Amino acid sequence: MSAQQIFDYLTSSILDVVPELNEHEFRKNDSLVNLGVGSMERADIIIMVLEKLRLKIPLAETYGPNNLGELADLLQSKSQIS
Amino acid sequence: MVEVGIEDMHFFGGNAYLDVSELADYRQLNPDRFAKLLIKEKTVPLLSEDPITFAVNAAKPIIDGLSAKDIDSIELLITCTESGIDFGKSISTYVHDYLGLSKNCRMFELKQACYSGTAGFQMAVNFILSQTSPGAKALVIATDLSRHTVEKGKDVSVMDWSYAEPSTGAGAVALLVSEIPSIFKVDVGANGYYGYEVMDTCRPLADSEAGNADLSLLSYLDCCEKAFLEYAKRINQVCYKNSFQYLAFHTPFGGMVKGAHRSNMRKILGASPIEIDEDFNNRVLPGLNYCQRVGNIMGATVLLSLLSTICNSDFRLSKRIGCFSYGSGCCSEFYSGVVDASDAQRLRKELIEAQLDGRYQLTVDEYEDLLSDNSNVSFGTRNCELEKYAPSNYISSELATPQLFLKKIKDFHREYTWTT
Repeated sequence: MSAQQIFDYLTSSILDVVPELNEHEFRKNDSLVNLGVGSMERADIIIMVLEKLRLKIPLAETYGPNNLGELADLLQSKSQIS
Repeated sequence: MVEVGIEDMHFFGGNAYLDVSELADYRQLNPDRFAKLLIKEKTVPLLSEDPITFAVNAAKPIIDGLSAKDIDSIELLITCTESGIDFGKSISTYVHDYLGLSKNCRMFELKQACYSGTAGFQMAVNFILSQTSPGAKALVIATDLSRHTVEKGKDVSVMDWSYAEPSTGAGAVALLVSEIPSIFKVDVGANGYYGYEVMDTCRPLADSEAGNADLSLLSYLDCCEKAFLEYAKRINQVCYKNSFQYLAFHTPFGGMVKGAHRSNMRKILGASPIEIDEDFNNRVLPGLNYCQRVGNIMGATVLLSLLSTICNSDFRLSKRIGCFSYGSGCCSEFYSGVVDASDAQRLRKELIEAQLDGRYQLTVDEYEDLLSDNSNVSFGTRNCELEKYAPSNYISSELATPQLFLKKIKDFHREYTWTT
């Protein structure tokens, strides 16, 4: 799966959890914190995108990226390993 | 095999508190985000209160209810804390003295962040089950507090501990563990533990906290699922919903528990949002009640959630409670036990609630003064007089029960006295 496809899964998960952002045009350098998404919602987004990708990795391994592009890259590298 | 569990338990939640919404306004936290944390009040320790006074005040009503023979049968005292006052001397030595326990008693202090209370409880359970001293009892006291210091006028948001300020509190829960599990009969062998190294939240410096709330949340959620799955491997036909009439969680703040419950219900049972909300209100909410009044009391929090569940639920029939404990760093565990109808009423619900209701409400200005005064009792204080901070100087009405408070520190030795 390409990083772009993963990015699309990611943005659809964000909209599932935070529908108020449906007008937003997501970019790779967007940060969920800067978009005003709270910590519980951020965790829900991660859980949801991992489910969509059928990726079984510890949630804690998704910690670190500073923006959506970095998160998509991380998820792509994890999906290639698992 | 002998039965084992909690013969008696009690909680002490301090003498002063802050309405956390006032603090949130003052610190200009985002109101929408703050509301989702489900935090109401936090106990703020006075300078005359420390982990020892909290521990002794939690255990005293239990000890007062025992015969001299039963007191002498307490052969194990474990204090569980991440708020120790000395690298060598355990706070259990002071607690042992002020509770008047037998000198033929093992005593020590145990640490693993917010998991410490469960670690102590499980060690006590195994001491009883080992039957190396038949009839012996164990006293386990989880006691923790956050005491931050900042110079007046300095920006709190730059401090390492600022992320945790609204949620951290102070309090202690004492458990008498024995072969007479009147309050909570442990399901022996029904334990799922799960842990690994992670740098989420920690106390690398005295009187401070550091870490990353996001990483801690993700680690907590991982453990909440994995500890239960390990439990389920060991117990045939267990169901996350039907096997437990209530669930008690380690409660850093209510919003985190709500998220963890939602995640487990969805992952383990595939439950719908409506089902999850209803289940949360029925099985989880009773355990949040007392936790929301004192804040996160770390090692004692899951035990407070257990106590809150028992005091605020219907036990006309015997019911099973599943407990999830998490301590940063990290170690976690899911375990369970049964509460019987008649015995749950032995708990001192009225005393617990009178004590919480009787606390002094600090204004934000008074709270800020305490943050500055806290430097008088920072870790390693050699000498200090503390009578002016005695609880009676804050609370004009009669205290629910006599309390121990810290009178002075003299050459590092702490001297306590009882309120009259």
